Amino acid sequence: MSSSTVRARRALALGPGLAVLGVILALVAFLSITLGSRDIGLSDVLRALAGLDGDGSIEHTVTVDMRVPRTLLGVLVGAALGVAGAVLQGVTRNPLADTGIMGVNSGAAAFVVLAITVLGVRGVGVYIWFAFAGAILATLLVYAIASLGREGATPVKLALAGAAVTAGMGSLTTGIVMTNVDALNELRFWQVGSLAGRYAPILTGVAPFLVIGLVASLACGRALNGLALGEDTARGLGQRVGLTRAAAFAIVAVLAGAATAACGPIVFVGLVVPHLARFICGPDYRWILPYSMLLSPIVLLLADIVGRVVARPGELQVGVVLGVLGAPVFIGIVRYGRLSEA
Amino acid sequence: MRIWRPIVAAAALSLTLAACGSTDTPETTPTSAGPWQFTDGSGEVVKADKTPTRIIAHAGEAAALMSFGIKPVGVYADESVKTDPNLKGLDLTGIEILGEEWGKIDVEKAASLRPDLIVGDYWPAEKAHSGLEEGVDEKSKKLKELAPVVGVSQGKSIVDLAEGYEALAKSLGAKVDAPEIAASKKKFEDAVTAFKAAVATKPNLTVLAMSPADDKVYVANPEFAPELLDFQKWGLKVVNPDKPDPGFPYWENLSWENADKYQPDLILWDGRSYTDTANAEWGKKQPTWFAIKAAKANAVVSWPAYWLHTYGHFAAELDKLTTAIKAADENVGS
Repeated sequence: MSSSTVRARRALALGPGLAVLGVILALVAFLSITLGSRDIGLSDVLRALAGLDGDGSIEHTVTVDMRVPRTLLGVLVGAALGVAGAVLQGVTRNPLADTGIMGVNSGAAAFVVLAITVLGVRGVGVYIWFAFAGAILATLLVYAIASLGREGATPVKLALAGAAVTAGMGSLTTGIVMTNVDALNELRFWQVGSLAGRYAPILTGVAPFLVIGLVASLACGRALNGLALGEDTARGLGQRVGLTRAAAFAIVAVLAGAATAACGPIVFVGLVVPHLARFICGPDYRWILPYSMLLSPIVLLLADIVGRVVARPGELQVGVVLGVLGAPVFIGIVRYGRLSEA
Repeated sequence: MRIWRPIVAAAALSLTLAACGSTDTPETTPTSAGPWQFTDGSGEVVKADKTPTRIIAHAGEAAALMSFGIKPVGVYADESVKTDPNLKGLDLTGIEILGEEWGKIDVEKAASLRPDLIVGDYWPAEKAHSGLEEGVDEKSKKLKELAPVVGVSQGKSIVDLAEGYEALAKSLGAKVDAPEIAASKKKFEDAVTAFKAAVATKPNLTVLAMSPADDKVYVANPEFAPELLDFQKWGLKVVNPDKPDPGFPYWENLSWENADKYQPDLILWDGRSYTDTANAEWGKKQPTWFAIKAAKANAVVSWPAYWLHTYGHFAAELDKLTTAIKAADENVGS
């Protein structure tokens, strides 16, 4: 059997697999609307969704005004983090790359506290825009620093620049919150990654960026495949390596920036899901990207559902759940699953 | 993690209360130049050859001593002395400010004041005095090496606390029967009488102490809030939440989906975040806040959460509550 037949066979199975994932995601999203820290019967949920129960009831408010936007945000943010992680791992050829090491989280946090202390900004709806700006700026800064010198932004220089910017932004944030209790209080809400307390305005605010970034990412598959062969080979194949890298970074900045701005830093999804996708589809980024796009929101929403039902009448933030459940899973992957190099 | 401590569920943890109640009332000796002794909240009897005169005190404790005319030489606070409710309106000229953040005290500056007494509340649950608790900078904790540390135990009642500091002030030479002090005490007693009378006219009124936050709603557990225990003692039905956070029992945490779990007739709103427009703002921001009928009816009043130390402050806060109770409708939540 020639290798091209294997590839064709695989592609034959991967297409329907994607459809199956789509159905699973829809089911999980439905679960995320029906389950929560408040006990609401399925029939009440369905009536609320159909708009049959009038506006006044608390069941309607919780279902339509809280759980629906929360679920949609979970889908978009999950997809964005997974894809951003996959693109970043591909472009840096670093299997441990996630958006955190590109300075996204630290940049967003630094701008949130600056907005609070210097500009007196209050309220999540306003400061997510500062978080977004901070995330983008930090990523650009990392890219610019790494691009200095002859070889351009090589993976090693990117990792070093990322670490430096993260450290710098981190000290700025710490310096401010140590002397400003208000900033600390506001930051606390934002700094534990969570889907709670985000309603329609935040969803509609970040959705356009996330959708554009996700669509654009799907066009990167072939270029990332080329980079995976090594830069010289990619160049030999006629690829414009610098351009690919810049475009990939722009996509990561928009996706991770908007996701982090809306929900705070959510780790793990962007790091691990691309490995899961790679485990299923092999090294072809034309499949890894869409698989990451569907697998990540499934993981994120499931973790969020767990967080909402285990601590009633309160909730656990999804960031905490992912940390607790995610660490052993990650160790398992590394230990038994052969962590495939990007 | 340490950085969280002062703010986790609001400064509660740092400024406040402790589990076991203290029944020990501090004893005093007749005042003169000395020898001096005082029974600390921990039960230990602290002695000195001479009555201390150069005192360094934690913010609320300083306010308590100053209300009896004892002026400390230095003060350490948990926040800016401009916003600390204990110090508001007090003349701090001539007093060195040694710290304006929880857990951070300038011990070098403190040493230069040559103190002969450090005053901070004693926390039975943490077995430490204010400023020396777990989580405080190790450097700051050296404060205790400068002079003996005494304080009244944080327990089950603000009245115990106020009386304890009255006794301490007396041992330090304050004339606690001076007319303005007597007047302040009288004012407090009148405020309690008025509060009890107002509560008696509304036998069905229930209140809930709350602190809404962006990610959840906190419901206070009176067991760990001495002023709420005082209110209960005086007849007010402060709801006891049924599932306080086991790791941090000062509060029960409600997700916003469950914000309407309790339906009180009046909301006591954490004074650290209360403003006149806060209720309307939260109603706009959180879809379920107005599912609490009392919030919808704007039946909210500021609650002096976890900071009171003096008769004067307590009297002023009680008067506000009495007004709100008089105006409250005891059927809002039913």
